[in-house]
This record gives sequence, structure tokens and C-alpha cells, in this order.
Amino acid sequence: MNINGIGIVFTRGRGIDCFENALKDGWQRPDEIEIKGRKSFVYQVGPQTMSDKSLLKKMRRADKLSKMAVLAAADALENSGIENINKKTIGIITATAFGAHVTTFDFLNDILDYGEANVSPTTFSNSVHNAAASYISSALNIQGPTLTVTQFFFSFHSALQLAKAWLDEKRCDYVLVGAVEQYGDVLGYIYGSKLMQATDGRIKPFNFNPAYSVPSEGAVFFLVSNEDSENVFCKVEDITTRHSRESGNPAPIRTDLNIIDTDGLLIDESVYMSSFSPEIPTAAYSPIFGSMMIGSAFNCASGALMLKKQLYCANPVSDNPRVINVLDETKNSGIEFIRCIRYNCLNEQAVIQLRAK
Amino acid sequence: MNKKILITGLGAISAAGNNAAETLASFRVAKRNAGQVTLFETPLRYPVFEVRGLPGEFYLEGQRTLGLALGAVDEAMKNARLNDLSDFRVGVCLGTTVASQLNDLEFYKSYRDTGSAAMDSVNRYLKGNPAEFISRRIKAKGPSLTVVNACSSGTDAIGAALSWLNNGLCDIAIAGGADEMNRIPLCGFGSLGIVSMDLCAPFDRDRKGLNLGEGAGVIILETKESAGKRGISSDLFLAGYGSSSDAYHLTAPHPEGTGLRTSIKKALTDAGITPGEICFVNAHGTATPDNDLVEGNVLADIFGTHLKMLSTKGFTGHTLGAAGGLEAVFTAAGLREGWIPASAGFENKDDAIPLIPLREKTNIIGRYALSTSLAFGGNNAAIVIGRL
Repeated sequence: MNINGIGIVFTRGRGIDCFENALKDGWQRPDEIEIKGRKSFVYQVGPQTMSDKSLLKKMRRADKLSKMAVLAAADALENSGIENINKKTIGIITATAFGAHVTTFDFLNDILDYGEANVSPTTFSNSVHNAAASYISSALNIQGPTLTVTQFFFSFHSALQLAKAWLDEKRCDYVLVGAVEQYGDVLGYIYGSKLMQATDGRIKPFNFNPAYSVPSEGAVFFLVSNEDSENVFCKVEDITTRHSRESGNPAPIRTDLNIIDTDGLLIDESVYMSSFSPEIPTAAYSPIFGSMMIGSAFNCASGALMLKKQLYCANPVSDNPRVINVLDETKNSGIEFIRCIRYNCLNEQAVIQLRAK
Repeated sequence: MNKKILITGLGAISAAGNNAAETLASFRVAKRNAGQVTLFETPLRYPVFEVRGLPGEFYLEGQRTLGLALGAVDEAMKNARLNDLSDFRVGVCLGTTVASQLNDLEFYKSYRDTGSAAMDSVNRYLKGNPAEFISRRIKAKGPSLTVVNACSSGTDAIGAALSWLNNGLCDIAIAGGADEMNRIPLCGFGSLGIVSMDLCAPFDRDRKGLNLGEGAGVIILETKESAGKRGISSDLFLAGYGSSSDAYHLTAPHPEGTGLRTSIKKALTDAGITPGEICFVNAHGTATPDNDLVEGNVLADIFGTHLKMLSTKGFTGHTLGAAGGLEAVFTAAGLREGWIPASAGFENKDDAIPLIPLREKTNIIGRYALSTSLAFGGNNAAIVIGRL
């Protein structure tokens, strides 16, 4: 399966070029906000990034989650450079952990303020988990199978795995597969209650324990297919989920770089250290886009971009208290394989194996 | 013809019965177990289809959807004689709507009013992803995935599981859907003006909307190789799945039913059969004016006006994320039993719909049946179930 195009909406803007610049520029301080007397850092997607009036004109009532998803999906399609795709042959798989929780809480406001018989049907419609995928479908006139899936740690991996299955079964010729998450003050409160928040705004991916988080939001979509188009970023060689130590050692995978999903969403991220080998450099790009359950999709985009450009991008944050082999220099060099690694709270591992075209 | 993926177990829990046998008994005598909401206080007086007497072993505090799922999974696994999973990669793919949302009103009210709230409901939510929960509970080692495609979630979950099996990602898949009666969809569907104050009447001329329900429906899908290794067989198989989006509207189906039409044709193609080989259709049939009009016309176009067709939502209500799972179980059971129930609630033909659903319990002869789902967001899905 090839990655033919990528679309991204994140705290620093929109588009794969913007993301590439962010990877090269390194860490930037997140916004500091105050909600209900509590200060915290957060990476939010600003109104400038969401200002596309032509694409969003059909969805004025949609929430931010859906708009971010539509922008990223549309950009992935355009970025592929593939023209005249039959929209009936494109599938959509949207992964999310928390879905439209901000709109759900708006709906709860309706119930509390106006009573159960006087709630807004528009708010309810937009609070449904698959609203974002539905907007992608209608905004881009895509009529293939359209699915929304949810898990807390491996939703993107599961979506990518299913996209590959759909392509191999020929259920569709292309799949727009991606992930979206929105920040909201309730989620920020939950993160603050359950996780260690970075009081200086810096996620330190190689600290492992304690692990610091900065809540964030954004969307990434990939146009994937078995087609070898001009603009192919890389191949997705394999996707595995839920590999545990109890199930034995995984087959050795050749890699030139490990990208790890450490972002503070596990209280103790020491489990990642078991996936290193001294001779393979490791990178973690969560300080660029923040802490999200769907952060794997952003790291996968980083890997795909580096394989396409044959460019190693240095870690955005240099803290390395365990003195492991981290990627500390941005440089052009041959890269053939990149392994993207995520663990969940049960120490189960998911891996996306990328290979240069 | 796709006969590779067997259906080796069925499990169902809904207002029609706490297991498949009770459900069939209700169907046989056309018993409709509807009433007012008892699970929470509400001023809304819509009739609903609640599960009565959920067995205590499946009761989970604040996690009713998971309890319902557990009940259906337990029955399906026993039905499939699936005890020791250690030698198999077992995937779990379940659809839901309610269990995917953090929508606890007390938690939110406390946060809104005071800036803080107890984390109990958050902890339950974080541990309550249905597929992950079931997978861990039964110690499954395959993939797990929760599908949140609104009202087609259950059917789409079965479709995703079929893809897993076809692509060798697991040997056995537990697939279907589960959803509880909950305040949020009750208020939400009420606000849309599509909930009836009377018992629902799918495809009836005078239908006034849907009734909400709750439940869980689960099927065990299994490769022939896996079933052979376990020493079991089955006369049922999942022959095909098709899915397509309307790309039209967030809440209304396309007036021409384009997505539904495509989904059905894809499912038939996937199964390698023609429309004439379908002996009955278990329709989505929510009893809303729009759904039944579009669906009835599409079914008549594809299968002709003499199609044997029913909606089982007159027995279960609209169980949202569970509907596709429950209706897959009912479709499979109908094929196996050789009869299907009357389409409860139907009395008068709607002249705008060229089909008449079954008015009475009817014997069926044939090897294939279809189950359809239409959803918020314009999702449409269909599965073909076959009998050897």
C-alpha cells in the first residue's frame, strides 16, 4: 500500500509543506490559556488555519472537529496529484479517540439550560461520532464506503490496517484514511487531572518517567492506494497492533529510524525503552504537534515525509536524560525504512512500518 | 460465491428477549415489549423498547452498553462452542453509538458549575471502549475495533470483521453491535422530530416515526480452517458485505437512495449472487417517513414488488449501534429456522412504497437473505447471509 498524498491541519497551520517547515524549524512554545482559574499550555488550531471559505461553505453548521477533518482530507486528495479519480472508488476511514466531545458538551448545555424537550437538533446531529466522516463525504462528493472507528490508543493503526484490507480486497481503489481530535476545556481538565502536564510547555519525549503532556488538536489524512503515482511518499509495509511481551518477541524488522509516540499520554512511558537498539537512532515529534491519542498519525506523516525527501529531521526537543541514540541533526541521507511505534496503557505495542518508494 | 467465512454462533439481547430463543418466541407470537423509560428520569414520554431483566452476571455499574454486549457475546460464544481462545487469533469488532461518547450529565454539570468533577464516570468511559473491553474480558489476541457509524455501526462492524478474516488478520471474529437506552439519543432524536409517541409502524402509510430501543447482537465469524480445527461446522455463512455513502446530507437519506442501492449491489456482487437468489430482506425500516419511503422504493427496484420483506424494529425499537448486529442475528436465525415473523406494526399500505411488508409469520425457502442499514451521515450498509 502506498501513501499517495497527505493533508494536515495542526497548531502551526495547514498542509504538508507547513508541516515540513515545522519539522525543520523545531519546537515552538504552545499557547498558555486559563480556564476556570487554572493555567495550562495547549496546542490549538487557530482561526486563520480554518479560514477556507470555499471548501467549508457547505458546512457552516459543522463543528471544528469536522472542519479540521474535511480540510485535511481535501488536502490529502489534492496533494496526491492524481487527477480525475472516480469518487465512487474512494473509501473513507476516520479514526478518533474522543470524537465530537466538544459538541456533545454543547448538547449537554442545551439539556441543562433548556430542558430535555428543548434541545437543538443541529447540535445533536453534529455530536454524532461519524459527523466528520459524513462531512468529508459530502464536501468532496466521495461515495465509497465511509467508516468512523474509535479506540483510545490504536485507532489510527486499526484504521490504516482496515484501509489496507479494503484495498487488497478491491472494495475500493483509494482510501482516505486519517485521524482527527479536538481540544476542549473539559478534555483539558481531564488531562490535567489524570496526566502530568508540562508546566514549561515542553513535551520531553525521552524523559519517559515522568512523562509530560501538552494537550492539542488537529487532523491528518492520507490518500492510500496500491497505485504507484508520481507523488508517492512511501509504502506502508506492515501494520501490527496489540503485540504484547506475552505473545513473544516480534519478528525482527529492519529500520533506519524509530519514531516513537511518547507524548505524555501514558503516565510512565518507560516501556518504549524496550523497543530501542543502540545502533538505530530514535526520534519523537510530539513536541511539534502536541499530545493526542491520534498522535501516531502525525508521526506517520513525519516518517512518510522524511522517506519521500530522504531527509532526517532532528528531534525538536533535545532533552535526553537517558542518553539514548536520538536523532540530533537534520540532514539529507539515504533512508529506506522507518518504524513508527506506539504503546498503550497495557504495554501492548502497535507498529507502522514504512519503506521508501 | 463466498462461502469461506462461516457464522458459527449467534447471540442477541433486546426487548424481544434476553437470548435468541426468547427472541424467536416473541417473534412467533408477535409480542411487542414496549413501555415508558424506566432506566432514568425523563419528562419525555415516548414509548421505548428496554431490555427487562438483564441477567445479573452481565450487570456493570454505569456501563449498560458493555453489559448488553457481554450478554450477547456470552451467548454467541456458547453457541459457537468457543471456550479456549488460546490457539486462535480472535478479533473483536463492535458497533456502538452511546458507549463512544463521554456524555455523563452529572459529571459535566459538576464541572460546569464548580470547575471540578469526580473522575468515576471518566474512568468508566476510558475503560469502556466496547471492542477493547470485550477483547480483554475474553482474553482475545486478535485485533479489536469499535465502529461508530451511527445506525449502521453494527452492520459495518460485521463488514470490517469480514475484511479482517479475508485478509488473514484473525481466524475468528466476534462482530456486531451494542447500545443502551440513554438520555442523549432520546433527547436528540426527539429534537429531530422523528420519534413517535405511538408504537412504531415500519413502512405503514400512517407511520409517525421511530421508537428507540436497546440491546446487543453478535455473530461469531470464522474461517472454515478455524472451524475445522475446532471440530465444528455450521450451515450459515457470511456471503457478502457492501457499503456506500450518499455524500448528500448529515441526517436525511438521499431521496433516490443512491448509497443504499450501491451498497446492496456491492453486497450481492461480493456474495456472487443475483437479486433473485435473495429469499427475504430484513430491512432497516425505522418507521420514519423518509427512511421507509427511500428504502422501500430501492428494495422494490432491485428485488421486485413481491419481495418478502420485514422490519424487526417493531419488536426491538431502533437500537442504533446494535441494530445491524441484532438484525444480522435475526436474518441468520430466519434462514436457519425457515420462517420469519410479521413486520410488527404494519397495517396499511403506503401508496408511495411499492412493497408490502409481511403481515404474518411466513415460511421461507431459499439460501440467501439480506439485511440493510441506513445511518446518520448518509452511511449505507448491507450484508448477505447464506445457508449451505
